[in-house]
Amino acid sequence: MMDFLTPVTWADALAVKADRPEAVPVAGGTDVMVELNFHRRRPAALLDLTRVPELAAWGRDGDVLRVGAGVSYTRLIEELGGLLPGLAAASRTVGSPQIRNRGTLGGNLGSASPAGDGHPPLLAAGAVVELASVRGTREVPVADFFTGPKRSVLAPDELIAAVLVAPADGPEQFAKIGTRNAMVIAVSSFALALHPGRRSVGTGIGSAAPTPRRAPEAEEFAAAHLPWDGPGPLDPDLARRFGELVSAAAAPIDDVRGTAAYRRHSLSVLARRTLTWAWEELCE
Amino acid sequence: MTTAIGRPIDRVDGPAKVTGAGRYSADVPLPGLVHAVVVGSRIPAGRIISIDTRAAEQANGVLAVLTHLNLPKGGSVPPLVPSLAGAAATGQTFFPMQDEVIHYAGQHVAVVVAETLEQAEHAATLLRIDYAAAPFVTTVEQGREQAYEARRIFGGFLPGRVERGDVDAGLAEAAVTVDLGYRYAANHHNPIECSATTAVWQGDRLTVYDATQGPNATLHTLAELLNVMPSHIRVVTDFVGGSFGCKAMIWDHPALAALAARHVGRPVRLALSREQMFSSVGHREQQEQQLTLGADAQGRLTAVRHHKLSPTSHFDDWAEPSLGVASQLYACPNYQGVYRLIRANTMTPTFTRCPGEASGMFALETALDELAERLGLDPLEIRLRNYAETTPGDGTPWSSKKLRECYRRGAELAGWDRRDPRVGALRDGDTLLGWGMATSAYPCYQPGNPQRARARLYADGSAVVQASISDIGTGSATAMTQVAADGLGVQLERVRFQYGDSDLPNTAAAVGSAGAGMVSAAVHVATTALRDQLIAQALADPGSPLHGADPRQVTVAEGRMALRERPDVGETYAALLQRAFMADAEAVGTWNPPPDTSGGSMTFGAQFAQVAVDPDLGLVRVRRLIGVFDAGRILNRKTAHSQLMGGMIWGMSHALLEGTRMGPDGRWANASLGEYLVPVNADAPEVVVETVESTDTVVNPLGVKGVGEVGMVGTAAAIANAIHHATGKRLHRLPITIEDLL
Ligand SMILES: Cc1cc2nc3c(=O)[nH]c(=O)nc-3n(C[C@H](O)[C@H](O)[C@H](O)COP(=O)(O)OP(=O)(O)OC[C@H]3O[C@@H](n4cnc5c(N)ncnc54)[C@H](O)[C@@H]3O)c2cc1C
Repeated sequence: MMDFLTPVTWADALAVKADRPEAVPVAGGTDVMVELNFHRRRPAALLDLTRVPELAAWGRDGDVLRVGAGVSYTRLIEELGGLLPGLAAASRTVGSPQIRNRGTLGGNLGSASPAGDGHPPLLAAGAVVELASVRGTREVPVADFFTGPKRSVLAPDELIAAVLVAPADGPEQFAKIGTRNAMVIAVSSFALALHPGRRSVGTGIGSAAPTPRRAPEAEEFAAAHLPWDGPGPLDPDLARRFGELVSAAAAPIDDVRGTAAYRRHSLSVLARRTLTWAWEELCE
Repeated sequence: MTTAIGRPIDRVDGPAKVTGAGRYSADVPLPGLVHAVVVGSRIPAGRIISIDTRAAEQANGVLAVLTHLNLPKGGSVPPLVPSLAGAAATGQTFFPMQDEVIHYAGQHVAVVVAETLEQAEHAATLLRIDYAAAPFVTTVEQGREQAYEARRIFGGFLPGRVERGDVDAGLAEAAVTVDLGYRYAANHHNPIECSATTAVWQGDRLTVYDATQGPNATLHTLAELLNVMPSHIRVVTDFVGGSFGCKAMIWDHPALAALAARHVGRPVRLALSREQMFSSVGHREQQEQQLTLGADAQGRLTAVRHHKLSPTSHFDDWAEPSLGVASQLYACPNYQGVYRLIRANTMTPTFTRCPGEASGMFALETALDELAERLGLDPLEIRLRNYAETTPGDGTPWSSKKLRECYRRGAELAGWDRRDPRVGALRDGDTLLGWGMATSAYPCYQPGNPQRARARLYADGSAVVQASISDIGTGSATAMTQVAADGLGVQLERVRFQYGDSDLPNTAAAVGSAGAGMVSAAVHVATTALRDQLIAQALADPGSPLHGADPRQVTVAEGRMALRERPDVGETYAALLQRAFMADAEAVGTWNPPPDTSGGSMTFGAQFAQVAVDPDLGLVRVRRLIGVFDAGRILNRKTAHSQLMGGMIWGMSHALLEGTRMGPDGRWANASLGEYLVPVNADAPEVVVETVESTDTVVNPLGVKGVGEVGMVGTAAAIANAIHHATGKRLHRLPITIEDLL
């Protein structure tokens, strides 16, 4: 027997989670149901979050956007494509229309897969994850959220409430390598955000380390050397060096989808290309 | 008179499929139905020390747990004979749960029967099975040392060695040679419908709803395995959700379902899970091929030596006939083909769409390209220089062959002559483009026994035409409706084709691209026999306007018989039958197939592919596939072209995606659709399909050569050749991976 818990308010959801910390939250179910089907887990209880309206909302909160954990990829694309183009681009590469209709950003974070496509753009944008429990609310930078493959700082009594992220203030890019054109887990992926106002650069690497991660040296290098003053064509050497630094930031392994060497190599190419595209966009 | 044949009409079973009304074998609702789940061995070799079934037996809803200790004994395992022969067609000569020995991972070791599927699945997890593991071989790499030359393969139908001329002499006289080693991953079929059987006994009579390519193959196999008279078995197959060979032979699950149903005294449904589909219904074996070609300075082949090495099971000498078509296609006097096998801890491999043709032709058609390059010849030109005007074996004429026309048209569609043939010359930005081509061919196999159909015309002029064949998604029910309409001379809308039931007149299984040819033959014979019978009745009837006319002068259209020269003189079938107080008229047609035509009859094709390669990332994307085929007469342009297109996309998948990996534990490591990648819609390129009709009077009455598989044959080679054109890389391993291109 498995209990199916169905809170209808956020307060109830937190209370239930405090009461039954072993209950597995289910949002879109596109990860949870696969695990149940494959007999990989058989939790004592499922905590259904789809009836909690707060989770499915997004809005402005001062300078930042507060995107509820239950917002689906389809809505990220349709409603937030203009404000968060990097996240929307990544969302377009997720699964199939059915998966994008069901799957949520919160679920992606909850699974904390190194290959989750939502993570690199959140890293590049410097997003913050809002975690909540009956004990209160805390904000964790997304870069600190992941602690290992499929592991995060989420405490047993906590739920992911939302992601806090500033709207894009410059070009954003996302690129993903897969063996086919859709319905594919990334072999490697990379997200980039340019912030011309503050002359800084954000990065996010996917599928090439135990957790999604940034490439801080690459960010600093690009921030220091991009020709912010007189926007013009990008020096190919600069783009190449940026690619090398991104590649160096990765810590990939060999697995059935690809070798560590390919992951490193492909990241340097993706980083070089996305920087070139983003810079062209900035110059337009 | 041909009016319906050839038309691109919509599928007669389409509405039922898209509305969900169609009942597949696991959908059939029966009162008292219970569910069986099979349990597979965790280890690839060894034996079962003990099975503790107590917890499972005591679980909620469980009715029975069957193992080798208590499975009711049935009959005996028939020999392995391809289902086209029309007899029993077991997929392997091994029936599980007879003793404690384990021969391969996934081998069925227990069947759990419960009131609900969930209860059965849960109880299956409660079985405690202890194994004693033994050393095993599951791959070519592990078994290379113990390989042996097969005496016969393919259910004993083909010799393990074929030779003509003197291949060593041919190689010695060659001006150029290429000697290439090829490696292929194993493949699984992955139809969307997993295999399923629903079995119900009424006394000593058994009805089985089975997802099968041949209801009669299921019937005859069950008769032997269960020791039940064929007259007491009925197999019904209303809909099949694809098969591609995994339902061509009959595996153990239909018999296990029937045994379980008898044991619990209730109707039983046994549906394999997706994961179980990887170790229950055969596969295309992993393989290596070594191909040596010799040619004179003009590019004419002087020798072809083609050896294959592959693992088979411990029970059967099975290899897909990879050397077949590749040995028959080009005019070459000296040939040697040898199959070598390894006894491995896998189940017996089986037919997988283009069984052998796809792998063997990948080798031949890419090697020919290398030969052409060495000789400075255009790839198309070298194929034309080796064009076989008659069969390379004994020089008998082909039953029909318009391959030259296919080449010409395909080259025209591809703009072949206008392309820059230099390697790496075509670009789209930073992307490298390339064009490649290859020949395809697929033999016309004949069924082993007479094919029958029954035609019945009612007094209102509507008709039912019956044959036992199942429609596995190819569109055969639609095509047969068209054949029947033309045979009878009635409108398409007035004909219902009834099929998918072993109680209907005998047909062999729809396999080997032979279904349309053999069933159309039976339907044609039956419907024209009924037409002739009704014409004869009219001529003999003093009340008929056609009384006393010359039968050769009578034609039928839209249900009306009339004189060819004087169409105003005639009457409808309906008028004739009603005047005679006949409710209906009926005829059975039997078509006796000619002896084996696979050596001298083939569907041919020319295939062209354009690829785009991202040189920095090693990614290949296919942009265009063009295929022009000579398939004899086309019964329905739409369904035939869909078959060809599906085959071509599958060929792309064979080239770039599909591969089942054997894990170090002797189990398939990627047994799910999440990890065994097949193309998605977004991968499908622009596909151009054309057919060149040829007249074939040898294969069957309507000259139908078959389209089910040939579309796949040349695709992988055309893609690999295109990749070479784009990048200069020669690839000899399928599937081609990203890393191969860096
Ligand atoms: C066919 C298919 C294709 C896919 N393709 C992709 C792809 O291309 N890219 C990709 O990144 N992913 C892909 N996925 C994985 C999955 O769709 C995503 O990870 C998705 O974001 C999960 O969201 P969900 O709402 O369905 O999560 P669920 O399955 O409901 O939950 C996932 C995890 O998060 C936890 N969780 C959910 N919501 C919360 C919350 N508010 N607080 C705390 N924990 C929570 C759950 O307990 C669970 O551990 C695919 C999955 C499938 C089945």
